[in-house]
Amino acid sequence: MWQRKKILRTAGIAFLVLLAGAGAFTLYLDHRVRTEFEGRRFALPARIYARPLELHAGLRLALPDLEDELRELGYKALIEKPDPTREAEGGWYVRSGERLDVGLRAFVFWDGPQPARQLRLAFDGGSVSALTDTEGREVALARVEPLPIGGIYPAGNEDRVLVRLAEVPPHLVKALIATEDRTYFTHAGFSLRSMGRAALSVGSSRMQGGSTITQQLVKNFFLTPERTLRRKLTELVMAVLLEAHYGKEEILETYLNEIYLGQDRDRAIHGVGLAAQYYFGKEVQHLTIAESALLVALVKGPAVYDPHRHPARALERRNLVLRETREQNAITMDQYAAARAAELGVSRKPGFGTSPYPAFLSVVHRQLRRDYDEADLRSEGLRIFTTLDPRAQAAAERALTRRLAQFDKDKRFGAPGLEGAVVITDPQSGEIQALVGGRDPRYRGYNRAVDATRPVGSLLKPAIYLTALADPARYTLVTPVDDGPFVWKSRGAPDWEPENYDKKFHGMVPLRTALANSYNAASARLGTDLGVEKVLATAKKLGVEREVKPFASTLLGAVELSPLEVAQMYQTIASGGFRSPLRAIREVTTQEGKPLQRYALAVEQAFPPEPMYLLTAALQGVVREGTGQGLKAFLPPELGVAGKTGTTDEQRDAWFAGFTGDRLGVVWVGYDDNRAARLSGSAAALPVWGDMMAALAPEPLALEKPERIETVWIDPQSGLRGVSCPGALELPFVQGSAPRDMAPCASPVDGAVEAVGQTIEKAKNWFERLFSR
Amino acid sequence: MRFSAALLLVLAACATAPEAPPGGPAPPTPDAAPPPVSRSENVAVAGLMESARADVAAGKLSTAAASIERALRIEPRNPRLWQELARVRLQQGQHVQAEEVAKRSSSFAGSDNALRAENWRLIAQAREALGDADGARAARESAEKLSLR
Repeated sequence: MWQRKKILRTAGIAFLVLLAGAGAFTLYLDHRVRTEFEGRRFALPARIYARPLELHAGLRLALPDLEDELRELGYKALIEKPDPTREAEGGWYVRSGERLDVGLRAFVFWDGPQPARQLRLAFDGGSVSALTDTEGREVALARVEPLPIGGIYPAGNEDRVLVRLAEVPPHLVKALIATEDRTYFTHAGFSLRSMGRAALSVGSSRMQGGSTITQQLVKNFFLTPERTLRRKLTELVMAVLLEAHYGKEEILETYLNEIYLGQDRDRAIHGVGLAAQYYFGKEVQHLTIAESALLVALVKGPAVYDPHRHPARALERRNLVLRETREQNAITMDQYAAARAAELGVSRKPGFGTSPYPAFLSVVHRQLRRDYDEADLRSEGLRIFTTLDPRAQAAAERALTRRLAQFDKDKRFGAPGLEGAVVITDPQSGEIQALVGGRDPRYRGYNRAVDATRPVGSLLKPAIYLTALADPARYTLVTPVDDGPFVWKSRGAPDWEPENYDKKFHGMVPLRTALANSYNAASARLGTDLGVEKVLATAKKLGVEREVKPFASTLLGAVELSPLEVAQMYQTIASGGFRSPLRAIREVTTQEGKPLQRYALAVEQAFPPEPMYLLTAALQGVVREGTGQGLKAFLPPELGVAGKTGTTDEQRDAWFAGFTGDRLGVVWVGYDDNRAARLSGSAAALPVWGDMMAALAPEPLALEKPERIETVWIDPQSGLRGVSCPGALELPFVQGSAPRDMAPCASPVDGAVEAVGQTIEKAKNWFERLFSR
Repeated sequence: MRFSAALLLVLAACATAPEAPPGGPAPPTPDAAPPPVSRSENVAVAGLMESARADVAAGKLSTAAASIERALRIEPRNPRLWQELARVRLQQGQHVQAEEVAKRSSSFAGSDNALRAENWRLIAQAREALGDADGARAARESAEKLSLR
């Protein structure tokens, strides 16, 4: 008797303790549910956009290029204007001959929203001849929405586009309820019926999950994916608590934003908002019944029912969802029949994971990290407007990939193949328009445009010649320089005897010829005459910020730079001596569009205009008659391209850097493991440069002649004055620095001709001044 | 260029007005002098500059600068746009940039001395604001010299 009483009492105490424990545990869970659910804000990645295309009359843009850009943005090419709803939404275009009607979508730019609008463009050859609205009124300027080019993602590369429940079409919600949780709007967080059904359905073909929508949300939100009874109980308790604290709508909305619906390479597609964009290229509110059913089908297993990889399975599952929806009377019989008959309709465009342009994105990310917290970048949904020009990027990628494949085939050096990197910038503003980090532009890894520092070879020579030309009393473009054998002795170091590429020495040559043909002996002699330190100071002013060893061999490029650093150096030359830091970002706004920061255009005059003008003329000579002559096969000589080839010892590195009126490009080609590529700059890098620039129809390089520069006709043989000499060249000189003497071949009236020419030039200037008032 | 030199040779030898060869380019005459690089023909640029001026008037200097930069992407060699940008930088208190941007403007100004003189005046103001009285004076003198030319 006693014994039984004691047992009962102990059991009672144990029960109370257990109850208290369960109570405490429930309280703890309650606390967690409330704090975490309320404090929970979805981490939203920073969204990154290319530059917006600015449409205006006079814009140099071919119609097919505009079509490409619109297609890239997911615009639909139509035969005629769509129905009024679609028409007003935008996202379509109609081409008829040389005319294009386009419905631009609404977009929130960094400086404010721009509503959807319709435009009509007329084209004439390679440019826009007129831009009007549909009534024919002139439109001065219109921006096309910028191409999204990736994001900076939270842990697990979770990506989502937040939506409000009101934006989600009712048929999507109905399909979800019908398939996943029929009693959602009436249960208290769990459903005994469906749990029972789930238990019974084990092994049957129509296996049921048994978890309510609330439980699924709890599972995703708070718990690890292990499958134990304890966890199942915790999930149940938390689901009930969640329902006790929050409304059905609120929980459903969170679920719709949380749910995992697919995988785009390394990017996880979460929520119906992003899934609508990813699978169908549209906003969630525009999803059809069939499309909505497919998203609901994916809830069960985005990998198993992946519509890209397993279309048959996906279709079957979608139709099952439709049937369940119909059984619940959530859609009519007609709607059901129509939706069942519809194709899957997923967009064919393959996803690119976190970005199609990982190399450019890494530069953007690095620039952002200077000003923003990594955590903010990954969670605050910032909008980043960059400088990327998708057309330039495509041209650079294509040129590099194709040429490298061809070189590999010609050389048969085996794997791993040749590599390369490309940078394109806008010479006036320093904006980076394209960046390719390797032969596979989609590869998210080693970014050679930024992280590969390689010897630059002759690319550094312009620093020598610029140093010389800055002293017009001593050096002009025709000053004879000595390309005889050269030995440089310095204590504690072996003698340095640079050889020329053709293994020959050329004696006395005009300065511009030494640069055009990239003579090493002449350049080394000139550089050491000027002083290595002085030349390196010039390089630094050009934008080479890396610490460079003041050895004589540095003059011939025994200095390692990345393609991006080379671009910075040539930028200063291309903009006439004004240095602009290379930029990849224009603006940053909050998720709502509030401007946070602008990365403004900045310039700094690093060199006076005269020596820069002379140097650029000499670099045009490189392309016209020197090591860059090969460009003739790609671009018309009238473009006046300025450039420089670079080749390093044993041809390990091939470079070409050059610019036109509107683009600057740097190309590097070589092996990652530093093998001799046996390809010179002009054989390997120049064709890549030529291919990509030819695809971009560049503007000619028209130099602004500084006031103190005059041009003089020079006899190329003697380097003296002589208009009438055979092959006479008109060359620029700083006033007073041109040779005074007449060449032997000059005719006696040459002097008079020059005098008249100068008078006319002066009169022209006088009239120009008169009219510019 | 080569062609006009040959033409000059004829001119010097005969000292009579040569006839333009049929189909060839006419020799430059004062009337046909290139129009001064003044206001842009481009309506897009004109529109952007108009909104930039409105933004300046409203004190929205950063937005104004952004509009001018947009205009510069369309016409990167228009010295007037660079000059407007220099003016905005000055108002933004970015005096070093104001001077550099004004110099950039002058580098595209060709023989437009009035424009270059105005750039020197902007530079003078920037230098004054930076406390560089000598530099400001030198800039003003450069402006005067150009105005007299």
